[in-house]
Amino acid sequence: MNKTFVALAALAACAVAGPLAAQSTNAEDQALLSQIQTDKRAIVLKGLQLTDSESAAFIPIYDEYEAERKQLADRTIALLDKFAANYESMTDEAARGILKDWVSLEDSRLELTKKYAKRFEKVLSASKVLRFVQIENKLDTAVEMEAVRVIPLAKP
Amino acid sequence: MKLLALALILAATTPFVAGAQETGLLTDEQILLKRVMEDKRSVYAASLALSDPESRAFWPIYDEYEAKVKTLDDRFLNLVNHFAAEYDTLSDAEAADMLKEKMDIEKERMALKQSYTHRIAKAIPPKKALRYAQVETRIENIVRRDVYSLIPLAH
Repeated sequence: MNKTFVALAALAACAVAGPLAAQSTNAEDQALLSQIQTDKRAIVLKGLQLTDSESAAFIPIYDEYEAERKQLADRTIALLDKFAANYESMTDEAARGILKDWVSLEDSRLELTKKYAKRFEKVLSASKVLRFVQIENKLDTAVEMEAVRVIPLAKP
Repeated sequence: MKLLALALILAATTPFVAGAQETGLLTDEQILLKRVMEDKRSVYAASLALSDPESRAFWPIYDEYEAKVKTLDDRFLNLVNHFAAEYDTLSDAEAADMLKEKMDIEKERMALKQSYTHRIAKAIPPKKALRYAQVETRIENIVRRDVYSLIPLAH
């Protein structure tokens, strides 16, 4: 597992959370991840085209959402570190544990989106919440593709 | 045309022939989709390097999983078609229903994934099950990227 792997893994986590997710990377990577997180926020806000009153209602909830995504990012980093540490001599037990944690993490991510979609629906029209979920899905997929691309497949 | 392309992509991720007939795809496209589906199987076959006993344990579970995922893909395709049909005049109530349906589909997809990942990890060595999940994720991401790029953002 090299530095690129860790940086991109952190990048994937960053899409799910914030700059602090990059604890296992160096300062340069953290600066990059912080910038990406800032950019993501800007993309989401620009994409939603909110009025001032909608923005005032939406942003505090969005920031809570991102803070919770940060916790999932920490779990992602831990999982990727575990994969990296076990990569060369993966035991059945380690593989089973990684699989279980991975599926659980994906489930938590989905539950978080569901939870906040309901909260957003209280302050935005359902159409705008639908638009928000679409934007999130696109961003998540784009970033995850980049990260997954550099993570090697487990040795058979 | 865009929706046809979307249908092609969605169907390509699952055993498709019956579903393709239901969604009205043409014969040539069914042939194309069958080839894509076979390619997906061949990708797994090449990536997993299963022994004969492992193959006998894995493929029935894989086929069962894909068949169940296919029903969710069909629901998603219906949702997207509904979204496209109502796009310019989408009411808030309709948007709320669509949002709920999208979340319900994803929840059911996740439950299936959890259940079948567990079964596959019991049927073949867990390292190979992990490798399977990684390949599956890569394929899913490619399909999602292509599908999402075809669906316009809600107004």
